[in-house]
Amino acid sequence: MDLPLFSACFAAAALTLYVMLDGFDLGVGVLLFFQKRDAARNHMIDSITPTWDGNETWLVMTGIILFTAFPIAYGIIMPAFYLPIIIMLLSLGLRGVSFEFRVQMKALRRQWDTVFGIASLIAALMQGLIVGGLLQGVELEGKRFTGSVTDVFRPLPLLIGVTLVFGYCVLGAGWLIYKSNAVIRQFARASLRATSVGLILLFGYGCAYSAIIQSGVRLAWALHTVPLSAIIIFVTLAGVAALVSTWSKITVLPFVFGLSIFLLGIAGLSVVVFPNIIPFRLSLWDAASPSASQEFLLVGATLVTPVVLAYSAFAYWVFRGRTPEKGWEQ
Amino acid sequence: MKLDPAIIARIQFAFTVSFHIIFPTISIGLASFLAIMEGLWLKTRDGVYLQIYRFWLNIFAMAFGVGVVTGLVLSFEFGLGFSRFAQIAGPAIGPLIAYEVLTSFFLEAGFLGIMLFGFNRVGPRLHFAATCLVATGTLLSASWILAANSWMQTPSGAVYQDGHMVVTSWLHLIVNPSWLYRLPHMINAAYLTASFLVAGVGARYLLQGKHLPFARRSVALGTAFATVLIAGQVFIGDLLYGTMLKHQPAKMQAAEGFWEKESASPAPYYWIIVPDQKHQRNRFAWGTPYLGSIWLTHSLHGRVEGLKNTPPDLQPIMGMTFYGFRIMYGLAIVMFGVGVSSLWLRWKGRLFESRWFLRTLVVMTPSGIVATLAGWYLAETGRQPWVIYGILKTVDAISPVPARALLSTLIAFACIYAVFMAAFLFFTFRLIRRGPTQLTSHAEASGSLKNALRPQVLDQAAVGGR
Repeated sequence: MDLPLFSACFAAAALTLYVMLDGFDLGVGVLLFFQKRDAARNHMIDSITPTWDGNETWLVMTGIILFTAFPIAYGIIMPAFYLPIIIMLLSLGLRGVSFEFRVQMKALRRQWDTVFGIASLIAALMQGLIVGGLLQGVELEGKRFTGSVTDVFRPLPLLIGVTLVFGYCVLGAGWLIYKSNAVIRQFARASLRATSVGLILLFGYGCAYSAIIQSGVRLAWALHTVPLSAIIIFVTLAGVAALVSTWSKITVLPFVFGLSIFLLGIAGLSVVVFPNIIPFRLSLWDAASPSASQEFLLVGATLVTPVVLAYSAFAYWVFRGRTPEKGWEQ
Repeated sequence: MKLDPAIIARIQFAFTVSFHIIFPTISIGLASFLAIMEGLWLKTRDGVYLQIYRFWLNIFAMAFGVGVVTGLVLSFEFGLGFSRFAQIAGPAIGPLIAYEVLTSFFLEAGFLGIMLFGFNRVGPRLHFAATCLVATGTLLSASWILAANSWMQTPSGAVYQDGHMVVTSWLHLIVNPSWLYRLPHMINAAYLTASFLVAGVGARYLLQGKHLPFARRSVALGTAFATVLIAGQVFIGDLLYGTMLKHQPAKMQAAEGFWEKESASPAPYYWIIVPDQKHQRNRFAWGTPYLGSIWLTHSLHGRVEGLKNTPPDLQPIMGMTFYGFRIMYGLAIVMFGVGVSSLWLRWKGRLFESRWFLRTLVVMTPSGIVATLAGWYLAETGRQPWVIYGILKTVDAISPVPARALLSTLIAFACIYAVFMAAFLFFTFRLIRRGPTQLTSHAEASGSLKNALRPQVLDQAAVGGR
């Protein structure tokens, strides 16, 4: 059995769940900037309050799978993206405590909401920066990072960062259309229309630009022309569908299309990167831990993940339907 | 000035992990306490239990929130500051933390939402189940992370080969020689922390003559738990001391403050020392004669081993290890005194009247947190210069990140964590000042906990209960 491949699939699944789930939480956070009314902001945050912690846990899961199954890659990525990762963690921290602290005091709520918005924006930007930095290429010597911690602050990573912010806004707006009251739904539809157009344009630009500066991306295009072209077409179609569905009466549609954009995007990224874990530098197998560690991890993952998915789904089911006007305690 | 990345990476990890552990200590303790309170309420329908539940749930939620976000940092910090450690130890402790995420983090996150916001969405029994599952999650989390940390203290079940650890036995790796003692020691510490928090807040209200039914019940429960727990803690601590003496003699040598290979006979028990690591001696030492021999060797004239038994380049810094131990141990003695006094006052029927005792409880409110932090300083500074004891030195584990970057992020951590702490303390003190009857009121609802949780109902229940 090819254990590193299974571990990599587990990591990819965890990352996909993180991006889709915390993606809409962060998107809702960014959209707070464009909502001036306190009551509306309360309602927006209420829609993500009961489930954000579980969503964020998929990020921890992804990091720890990397630490367990690909410690070499973990030991390269962490120092290489030292600054964006720490900025992301601090932003996620500020966002996380804002959930608890904003409800404690009416007087400071506006300030906490600003913190919430800025932190969501920066966290999203940094996540895109890390992905872009990986595509741009990480300097290695053997199994050690030898580049500079500031290498990541260059055009391609920044472009991918902004693209991801737009992507999360599309997801967040889709979530709000599905979960919130009529007033917020109007606002969310307008937001989705604006951000989805931006997303499609930025996505196309990002694909072209990464192929120009990174020969590894061009090589992937040469090897997998058909699947990659198909994915780009489908991402664009999903983006257009999300945009068009804002006029539909079925309020769940824009969110579903938003999720499909991300699924397809991650599939495309996997096609480009596979079989490497540090793109174009280090393969899954060269970065893998001994099989005893992979086995132990995968046994746990196989037994426990279905249970985790089941009760996470249960938590969503408990808080199903539209967000109550005055929060979940009503 | 030339900055040493190894030192800054260590300060950064020490700062972030010290800050973090405060909050899980509170939330592990409070989660089980809340489960007991909700269970008692379901059984007795006595409103005071529900009032206590409701009050501490708010503080638990904030502590849990800060714990989650500062813990998130730690799961990446293994690699951020110590990437060599990550590459070498990932195959050994990575799976333990992966199991922590799978069995605990998701469990907590999944049911925390229901615990905090589900009063109205699920029935009381299911809500109680959610509280119990969150409490179980906190205990599982402690088990896995203590297994990982204990493995770094007393590694077994793995060998170093081709640049990383290769695991030979998962059983020996998890059930390593110190885990079975360190895990109950930590859980007990968290429970003690919660007990003193609860008793301290109750005592404060009793002194002010406010919220009396709530306050009496809090003091009664808090001191009862604390008394049982501190007795257990002294016993577990003694077993752990023996284990660490066997596995990490240097740590215990440093913890007792003696330098010479054999101390004078009879040995004193030092309370204050000013160690001089460079010259391998104490510049000043003050202690109780004979007590060292009696406590540490169980004889009147026994000699105690000093730090010179360990070569200087493998010694921990005595001052940090010694004071970590003394603060923890000193607080344990005071806690023991509080426990004994509470038994005496309870027997005399003066537990709620004795003002000196209540004042002591108020002072002791954060004692569990301080003792836990001090205990971790003993454990972690005493393990130095090793990060994995006997296998990998801390200086060989650090990341290729320049000192400047480490320093700037350390400053960022300090600033943002200061905001977390300030907000947590501010809101906690405000909740305590407002008291259990001033909680946000809730609208009418039927057939759920909701109605029973309304403050008016609680007040009536509280008055009726006494």
